[in-house]
Amino acid sequence: MTKQEFLVGLKEELELDETLESTTNLKDLEAWDSMCAMVLIGYVSNEFDVILKPDDLKDMTTIDSLMKRIGLDKSN
Amino acid sequence: MGASIKAIEYVYPEQKITNNDLSLQFPSYDFAKFEEKVGIKNRYWVRENETAFDLAKLACEKLFFNFDRELVDYILYCTQSPEYFLPTTACLLQNHLSLRKNIGAFDFNLGCSGFAYGLSLAKGFINSGQAKNVLLITAETYSKYLHPKDRSNRAIFGDAAAATLITFSEEENIEEFLFGTDGSGYDKLIVKNGCSRFPLAAQAEEIGYGTDNVYTDNYLYMNGPEVFNFTNEVIPNFTLEVLAKNKKTIQDVDQFIFHQANAFMLNFLRKRLKITHEKFYIDLEDGGNTVSCTIPIALKKYSQTITESENIILVGFGVGLSWSGGLIKINSKL
Repeated sequence: MTKQEFLVGLKEELELDETLESTTNLKDLEAWDSMCAMVLIGYVSNEFDVILKPDDLKDMTTIDSLMKRIGLDKSN
Repeated sequence: MGASIKAIEYVYPEQKITNNDLSLQFPSYDFAKFEEKVGIKNRYWVRENETAFDLAKLACEKLFFNFDRELVDYILYCTQSPEYFLPTTACLLQNHLSLRKNIGAFDFNLGCSGFAYGLSLAKGFINSGQAKNVLLITAETYSKYLHPKDRSNRAIFGDAAAATLITFSEEENIEEFLFGTDGSGYDKLIVKNGCSRFPLAAQAEEIGYGTDNVYTDNYLYMNGPEVFNFTNEVIPNFTLEVLAKNKKTIQDVDQFIFHQANAFMLNFLRKRLKITHEKFYIDLEDGGNTVSCTIPIALKKYSQTITESENIILVGFGVGLSWSGGLIKINSKL
């Protein structure tokens, strides 16, 4: 999966109106709540077999930082 | 000789709270999205002067339309909303229902794992010859613990009581059960104040979490993402262990009935276990998450279509953290 596909997929999963950029901080989004966190954990677990821990969510700033955690930064 | 579930009856309180009702209080929240993801349309809450015990009495009386109360020789009462610190609510129930006095009765404090625990306890009492007809009650009113401004928990939790009758039978229809406990997660779902460790605080500090969510330590707190994580990490493998313990595969099972926590999470677990929609029960629309009552309510509803013996896997998980599950066989409508 490319970074762009990840951004598009995540936007769909979270049912967001705004376009996501790699510099977006998910926690700053108006729609961000515990349900979004649950959907995010589910999406990442399904697509990458990575289970995000509570600390990962706490440390998460931009989507870039999230992609690093998942290991997606090593792809294109 | 063995034990079987003979009947289940349940009740909700009269007061119905729809998503529309909640949206009036939390206008900025998208309840349509909530309904789609979490699968809840309405829940029922007790009124101020109504308790879990009141609901339990009604559920038991429904059960006694078709079963002689004189035959009950054990009461297992599962609740985290007891009538008093002491005495035991099960004792009050014996008296209120005019049950015999030469019977056993006790409460046990478990949440979402409680029903599976209760079945296993009932089986133990029956198979060891200590009881023949066990009345298992799950009764919960989390609504009393919810902060008025706690939008997400108010949307999820509903009140209910279920009464289940487990009786001795020629065949064993309550098969092997397994249990799990991780008390390190005790504070992921907790009502901190008001019991022995911390008294109720007169001026408890309001704590905000997420959007539109406020609680104080006098009220229920749930760390949703962490509970979701726990479930995701523990329950798929645990389900496979329950299957192995019963020497069954997913194909041998007619229906999986998990604790109805929320539809998104259940679907997530279902996909991880590669179980088809048809074999996996999800129905939270009417009633929401009623803690230890979701499994007996789901089982009662599902059983309406049963015409021949079916293998059903039950798995409960949540507050504690605590989980339990096992295999039962049901051969007719409950």
